[in-house]
Amino acid sequence: MSVAMSLHQRRKRKNGVMMALCVIAAGIGLAWLALILGALIYKGVSGISPSVFTEMTPPPGDAGGLLNAIYGSIVMTVIGIVVGTPIGVLAGTYMAEYGRFSKLTTVVRFINDILLSAPSIIIGLFVYELMVRPMGHFSAIAGAVALSILVIPVVVRTTEDMLNLVPNALREAGTAIGAPRWVVIRSVAYRAALSGMVTGILLAIARISGETAPLLFTALNNQFWSSNLNAPMASLPVTIFQFALSPYEEWQQLAWTGALIITLTVLGLSVIARSLTGRREDR
Amino acid sequence: MAEHTVASFDEDLRQISRLINDMGDLAGSMVGGSTRALLESDNALAQRVVSDDAIMDARQRELDDRAITLIAKRQPMADDLRNVVGSIRMAGDLERIGDLAKNIAKRVGSVGVAAAPRDLTHSIDSMAQMVLIQVQGVIQEYMVGDASALAKLRNDDERIDVKYTSVFRELLTYMMEDPRNITACTHLLFCAKNLERIGDHVTNIAENAYYVLTGTQLPANRPKQDETAMSATAV
Amino acid sequence: MLSTDLNTPDTIVEKAKIEVKNLNFYYGQSKALKDINLSLPERSVTAFIGPSGCGKSTLLRVLNRIYELYPKQTAEGQVLLDGKNILDRSQDLNLLRTKIGMVFQKPTPFPMSIYENIAFGVRLYEKISKAEMDNRVEQALKRAALWSEVKDKLNASGLSLSGGQQQRLCIARTVAVKPEVILLDEPASALDPLSTAKIEELIDELQADYTIVIVTHNMQQAARVSRQTAFMYLGELVEFDRTEKIFTSPREKRTQDYITGRFG
Repeated sequence: MSVAMSLHQRRKRKNGVMMALCVIAAGIGLAWLALILGALIYKGVSGISPSVFTEMTPPPGDAGGLLNAIYGSIVMTVIGIVVGTPIGVLAGTYMAEYGRFSKLTTVVRFINDILLSAPSIIIGLFVYELMVRPMGHFSAIAGAVALSILVIPVVVRTTEDMLNLVPNALREAGTAIGAPRWVVIRSVAYRAALSGMVTGILLAIARISGETAPLLFTALNNQFWSSNLNAPMASLPVTIFQFALSPYEEWQQLAWTGALIITLTVLGLSVIARSLTGRREDR
Repeated sequence: MAEHTVASFDEDLRQISRLINDMGDLAGSMVGGSTRALLESDNALAQRVVSDDAIMDARQRELDDRAITLIAKRQPMADDLRNVVGSIRMAGDLERIGDLAKNIAKRVGSVGVAAAPRDLTHSIDSMAQMVLIQVQGVIQEYMVGDASALAKLRNDDERIDVKYTSVFRELLTYMMEDPRNITACTHLLFCAKNLERIGDHVTNIAENAYYVLTGTQLPANRPKQDETAMSATAV
Repeated sequence: MLSTDLNTPDTIVEKAKIEVKNLNFYYGQSKALKDINLSLPERSVTAFIGPSGCGKSTLLRVLNRIYELYPKQTAEGQVLLDGKNILDRSQDLNLLRTKIGMVFQKPTPFPMSIYENIAFGVRLYEKISKAEMDNRVEQALKRAALWSEVKDKLNASGLSLSGGQQQRLCIARTVAVKPEVILLDEPASALDPLSTAKIEELIDELQADYTIVIVTHNMQQAARVSRQTAFMYLGELVEFDRTEKIFTSPREKRTQDYITGRFG
């Protein structure tokens, strides 16, 4: 085969140009990430001290910590996950297993995708109307409910996707040995999709840990320590929001520190999620 | 018959078929040549027949090789399998026919012209013609695929056996008439026996060919009318 | 004893384990199996052969009704297992599958340990002690000629085995629940020749106790392992006879064309 060199050269040049463009684009993306992380670390690290984890949010001008905010975030996140995950997993199971061929599944999947990318502030307003107004006051439980509504679509999506990845032959093998439907799902499909599903839950946690808007209208914020679910509760994102906009230096410093804490937590969860997926792929 | 999807398979089978055809032709010419050489005392012709046997042997070995290779390479089934295995068997019989014709040719020198009386020549000639027709017919009918003709041909072997019995008795008579005839007649006896054996091999070929074509065996009881073993010292 | 029924092998006098009568099968509106009539003798190996799309896998999957997992797949007619019609509405599917086991083309070990893979099926329907279960697992693995290779790593994941071993594990798993019939859907097509030979040897041994049906696109394999062979084409049963007859002198031209490689 005689190679037309000019064609070949032209293609090589084009290839080189495209490669360069891709590298530059990647570089730009990474550069922003580096800048953000850099700013966070630079500004936030200086505020890291034991007092951040032991003292409450201070009044303006005083020194203090983020204990109540951290506690509030953890509590509401956990409740959000505990409420949202079972609903999400069961819905995803229905879509991938029982209702695989039904029209309902298509509709639910569509709606789920919309919810997945719905602005979280709308969720917050929805819960405000649903719970805060009838109850007459803001509360942590309303905040947790808002978070769980954010968790559900994520878990539904990953559960359905992971279960769909389980080869049909495996289900047939379970069925062929005489196992009823639910046993096949529980012992075969779930086990095969387990690491994927756990990854989904971790990603959901990572998502809601940073949500501010839904909490604004539901849990509000609380300057003091509160473990009462029926009352407003502090949370890191809202606290950061409040402190960052303020003119007080101590508050601004705590905001940076809080942002750094959230970032590191989310980073840590993502790394764990990625390592689980990686292990699965190795097999 | 449809062609094989892999065309080279068909080519392999064709080459084996061609070999059987060639061997059949050669067998026919050797039988015809050896008997003519015998009856006309043609030593040159007899020599040619003898040397032809080497070609026959070579052909049979080539067919064996090709057939074994084909079985290893192609794992033939059904009619292809019967074809190849049948061809191996038929080649063996054709090679024996060649050997028997060669044996007849080798006796040409020992018989001589003068010794054979007209009538005897006539009998042996007519027996040889029968055998020759069978030899030529069997391969022809196999190539054409005429299974019923093969069945008939097999049964026709009994005519050759009957003829052989009568030639045998004639030769005995001549030997008893004039002892000087004994040498020549003994050689002629062997030649007649060889012709009869050729007829039997043709029967084998016909049976194999029938199996290849139809997948069933002809009934085992082959008509056998050679009564020479049973004739006592008849006068 | 010669049979006049075109579809009954000539010299088979054994009892039929499975009888298929007037079976039609539909994928939605399209008919995949056309009026199949077949009798599978017990304790022997029957092979289904035919070109792609002929319906051999479809027919196999009717026998344990695994097509019920999917919508729009329906079967009409009768399939009698020891005289009882398994296509009947009242047939309990899970119990049916304890009697008729299936091994698939791609080895499908469960995501559990080797021990659990085998114990799983047994536990579904039997309550036995740990010692008995250990014994059961060992017997099944021995039957599948896998025991010596895995006896020291029963707790290792089923997925850590090689392809051939995984397939034998699947066979052990099927045998452990003590079925009466074993269906094999191209069990060796994803395996290398040595593993294939081991599976064929296994089939040889298993047929003393089980009725085996194997679908294969490898004709030589069908010729090697089966006692009777069914040739299918475009959803019809073209010829069903003793294996040696099918492969040396088949009755139908279509059968002959297929096995000699003259198709299409």
